[in-house]
Amino acid sequence: MSRLEAKKPPLFTSKPLTRDAVSQSLSLLSGVLKSSYGPAGRLKQLHNGAGGCVCATSQSSALLGHLSISQPVLRVLTASVLNHMSRFSDCGLFTAILCCGFIENFRSLNVAPFTVIQISKHLLSLCMNHLKSEACGCRVSVDFSSLETLVCLVRSILTSKPACMLNKTEVDHLTSLVLKAFIFTVPCHIETNAVLGKCVVIPVKGRRVVDSAVLPGLLIETPEIQLGKPLAVKRTGSNVIKIALFSVSMSGDSSNPEEGTIAVHHGVSLEASELNQLLNVGQQLVKHEVGLVLCQKVMHPSLKQYLKENGVMAVDRAGLSLMEPLRRVTGSQPIASIHSLSPGCYGSLKDLCIESFASKHFLHLIPEDTVICSLILCNRSETAWDELKRVCETAEHVLQLTVKEPLALLGGGCTETHLASYIRHKSSSLPASTFKDLGCSQTQYQLVADGFCRSLETVARSLSHDGEEVLTDVVYGHCWFVPSGSPCASRWSDLVSKCSCGVNDNTEDLSWSFLQGQSSSPILQGCPKEPSVKVADLRTLDCFAAKCSGLQVALETANLILDLSYIIEDQN
Amino acid sequence: MAFRDVNARRHIGLQQLSALASTGRTFLGPMKSHKFIVDEITNQSTLICSAVRLIESLDLTSAVGQLLNETIQAQNKEFKTGMSSLLFLVGAWSNAVVECLQQNVPVPAIVSVMSEGLNSCCERVQCLQIPIHDVKKELCSSRVRPKAFESKTGQVERHDLKNSWNLLCFQTDISATEEVIPINSCSHQGHDCNFNKFLVSPLAGFGSVASVVKAVGDKSSPALSGSGVTAASCIAQKLTHSRHFSTLGKSPFASQQGNFQGHLSGPAADLCGLGCLAVALSHGNQTSVKLLQSIAAYQQGRAECSGSSQVNIAEIVTCCVLGLPESYSCVSPGFVTLVSPEQATVIKHFADKPLRILLVDGDLTEEYRHLGFNRPPNVRTILERPTPQGGGAGDVWLSRMSDVLMSFEVNLVLVKGNVCKNFMERCIASRILVIGCVARSVLCAFGSATGAQAVTYLSQLSTVCVGNGAWAELWHTGDGRAVDLGELLPARISAGGITLLTAVLTAALPSKAQLLEDHFWTLLYRLHHALKDGKVFPGGGAVELLCLSHIQALAEQPERPGNAKELPSPWLAECKSIVLQALASGWKRYLCVLLCNTATASSELEAGAAVDHHLQKAAACGSPSAYILEEFRRGGVLRGGSEPFPGRVTDLKVCDNVEAKTEAWRRALDLVLLVLQTDAEIITGPRRNQILNSPVSNEFMFL
Repeated sequence: MSRLEAKKPPLFTSKPLTRDAVSQSLSLLSGVLKSSYGPAGRLKQLHNGAGGCVCATSQSSALLGHLSISQPVLRVLTASVLNHMSRFSDCGLFTAILCCGFIENFRSLNVAPFTVIQISKHLLSLCMNHLKSEACGCRVSVDFSSLETLVCLVRSILTSKPACMLNKTEVDHLTSLVLKAFIFTVPCHIETNAVLGKCVVIPVKGRRVVDSAVLPGLLIETPEIQLGKPLAVKRTGSNVIKIALFSVSMSGDSSNPEEGTIAVHHGVSLEASELNQLLNVGQQLVKHEVGLVLCQKVMHPSLKQYLKENGVMAVDRAGLSLMEPLRRVTGSQPIASIHSLSPGCYGSLKDLCIESFASKHFLHLIPEDTVICSLILCNRSETAWDELKRVCETAEHVLQLTVKEPLALLGGGCTETHLASYIRHKSSSLPASTFKDLGCSQTQYQLVADGFCRSLETVARSLSHDGEEVLTDVVYGHCWFVPSGSPCASRWSDLVSKCSCGVNDNTEDLSWSFLQGQSSSPILQGCPKEPSVKVADLRTLDCFAAKCSGLQVALETANLILDLSYIIEDQN
Repeated sequence: MAFRDVNARRHIGLQQLSALASTGRTFLGPMKSHKFIVDEITNQSTLICSAVRLIESLDLTSAVGQLLNETIQAQNKEFKTGMSSLLFLVGAWSNAVVECLQQNVPVPAIVSVMSEGLNSCCERVQCLQIPIHDVKKELCSSRVRPKAFESKTGQVERHDLKNSWNLLCFQTDISATEEVIPINSCSHQGHDCNFNKFLVSPLAGFGSVASVVKAVGDKSSPALSGSGVTAASCIAQKLTHSRHFSTLGKSPFASQQGNFQGHLSGPAADLCGLGCLAVALSHGNQTSVKLLQSIAAYQQGRAECSGSSQVNIAEIVTCCVLGLPESYSCVSPGFVTLVSPEQATVIKHFADKPLRILLVDGDLTEEYRHLGFNRPPNVRTILERPTPQGGGAGDVWLSRMSDVLMSFEVNLVLVKGNVCKNFMERCIASRILVIGCVARSVLCAFGSATGAQAVTYLSQLSTVCVGNGAWAELWHTGDGRAVDLGELLPARISAGGITLLTAVLTAALPSKAQLLEDHFWTLLYRLHHALKDGKVFPGGGAVELLCLSHIQALAEQPERPGNAKELPSPWLAECKSIVLQALASGWKRYLCVLLCNTATASSELEAGAAVDHHLQKAAACGSPSAYILEEFRRGGVLRGGSEPFPGRVTDLKVCDNVEAKTEAWRRALDLVLLVLQTDAEIITGPRRNQILNSPVSNEFMFL
């Protein structure tokens, strides 16, 4: 018997940002994210407190995806960041920290939210125009004809997450594998619209990272395969292996999820009739000279036995995630029904062989010409493997984004400080008409611009976790770190050798100053200069597309949150 | 979601790690002390003797405990050896890192210097590697060579073994239980005291101090460990006379005089190389050495055809037979398993008849369906008229299935899963031997030897699926002693040309069966990996000593002006030296505890002095690696000055696996560095209210 309960009225919260609980949660979340940022970021152990598996990570989608957040304001923030991550895979922490920074800095201003939003949108457009202009001093173009910048980009991503537990040799090895895998996914013959392929990550946990490898084509784990025996595969007249790819379950259970019951007379076996149908399919496959049958789900043992007796290989339980790569590798149409088999749905392969890694055996599907490759990824522990997988997938995605827009941004906080000094310079020299158009006073504009720059600088400062001093220079607006415990020196140039991204060094006097010290950051005399970039000097690079999107998402989310006047919660 | 800052005081995570790791200290080295694990709720106890079993038995609900467990399991899965070293180094390095933190060394400096230092050591110690083909020369050149390994027939005589082994092994056969670890501990001090008195009193009588280690369920009370290690070395000798802890029956030297004789009728190849290698890798475990030599003999015979020199682990299974002395352990070709007396009668009926064999890779029950088969929920069967009494659906299945077996004249069915009891009875009645719960590798071996093809359902059966030429017999010991041990009897099933070998492990004490099995697999994996690596490390602390001397040299060496652009920073240089010292201290503690556990030194202080002495000698020699190799050739690296057992060291040289050792170091360091870099623990999921109401709620913050 169900119990009736009176409906509770919805809960109204007005001006949520002024509530203590909200600001406490916000600063806690911001603290968690800031402490995780960068290659020296601290890890978080995520677990359920009851002996479940532990995830040690500093990666934004793993962190935010695991958190169960009760504050609606924070839920808006995390949803935006996760959405950004699903599209770009990179710069998640940047986006989240920047968004928290915007909210914290703009909230304390005594300016109406509407005006803040107008001004900040204008500031964002200034930033985006600058980033897109040729004169931008914080971006470099990526030359795909040489490896140097690509290596730097991939290496920056691999080293940004310490939970991968990689040493230098391992980083080098993986960098080359990731690049190799990416090159495999670029089609050789470009038609009207080229589509990049996919790199499938094959897990081999418990092994050394240097045992990882890349192979063109696809690997499917087949524990049942017998080693030592040569693979006898049936080939068609044109010496290719014909493939049938089933997405439907062939386990022989009557898959009828509809409602209602079926009445069956005693002595009639549904199972037997299902199996007969499957065996019919098997007969057709044999007749069509199919050499390999792949099934996403389970195949009935009798069907497998029948196929085997007729010289057809059968591999089942390929899994949903492999279906799309399988379709592309074999060029076959997944068959979704066992009732109709059209000869046009078959695909083909050049060759098949068996590969063994660690104690696992794989069937290696070798196509004629492919954009699909398999990255056999090894790491010693489960926790570190999970992080490494996320990082490698990010790197592949970033390379794909970079192919579309061959640009990269200087890493290590230099882009953020450079943008901040650009905005400080630009906002002091705007014509009065701009303020009129925006409907604000120049003071209001200056206040918001200052908050905007502080938020950007906060991101750069978040890279320091061990008491390093963060400096900026007035010429290029780059970011410099002074190691903690450095001796006292009269000149900054004795303490800093290179800026964080590696482009500038201390040979000329750049009048360094503390980033966000007691006095507000100095306003540059002119526009921050564009340094001459030598690719060999570059230490870190960031993905251009991901960072641009992150900047926009952070600001729009912050504006959305600042604009919230009520939260209405259904309490039922 | 709850959030806790683990860095609040002195890194809690590292403290937990070191507390957990300290429980396994006495497992270091060849002289391992056994431990009892007592469950406080059920009062059941388990006898364990390895780090992996220890970690399995502890209640590890904390995040750090989980990570430690994951690390140990990963090493165990891959190598089956090195887990004790791993556990010990985790503890030693966490302590060392905590000390670095107290000296304000920045975390990134600790991480990079330690990881580079370890890398550099792993490269440095490569010069100590001994190629397998040199092992014979290197190891068998001792003045007193164990005669057993010259035996060409493979008949290893106890007396001979004894000469070379007894001095080393005096300790291993004594269950020196010196630590009692209650699990599910509710951290009652009173209880612990009870355990102390109750279980450890025999030891206390000998003046030892047993340490009680609590299961680390709650983080507030880190495990405490007393002076258990120092006790280990001195108790052991006294305990040989203890009634409680020295069971005559299982001491191989005390009672049996009979020749050891395995079922070794196979090729009598010259096994000296592999034999010596097995001895060197065994670290004093002789029962397993014998078994390994038999396995090597069998597999080498086959390898000569195929050309591979590896020990094939996939073709080996074990079978524990309780109630026989350990000396009856042997290797039998084919599959040895325990069967019921009814099944044994069937086997007796078979006599020497060749059997038709069927392999089933699922369960043999009516309800069983292959994985992925979902029973339709909405099917109703309509009965038109009631069936006559007694003709239930189950009986129909039973008779149909046994008809299938009869019609194909199957005598022997090996089933991967479970077998329906009624069906088993019916088969026995029709003299068909059905054996359930058979491992996949066994099915595969019989498949390739007899031509049988595994089926999932009996309805799939066709003539090509049935194999020929298997046979079954009751298993006998080498001296023909009848094995009638009550309920279950060992039986041997085999086929012509089968590659499968069963290591039959006999144990007089049921509680030791697991230990014996673990020992056997450990040694088998060591040999497998040694052959795979193609080289071994000199054992007995040689490699660690070189690491220690290498790191100390690195720490003293001035900063290389390699990168001209980098600014020289005296503080960073100082940090580097502090961190390198910390890394070295891990190996130093390792060597000291090793010396204590093997009774070479009587205290850690003395051991420390001995290690320093060797370090100085190595440094004075100019080339530490040459010194260490020379010492190893002369019989052992860290020989104590007093030489308590003259002659012993010249008989034995110990070797270690290369990859297993360096991987254990790396895994240990990775774990410590992972925990070091963690600053917060985030508890997800529905435990929020539980934490809110718990006494530690003020440590948490909520989102």
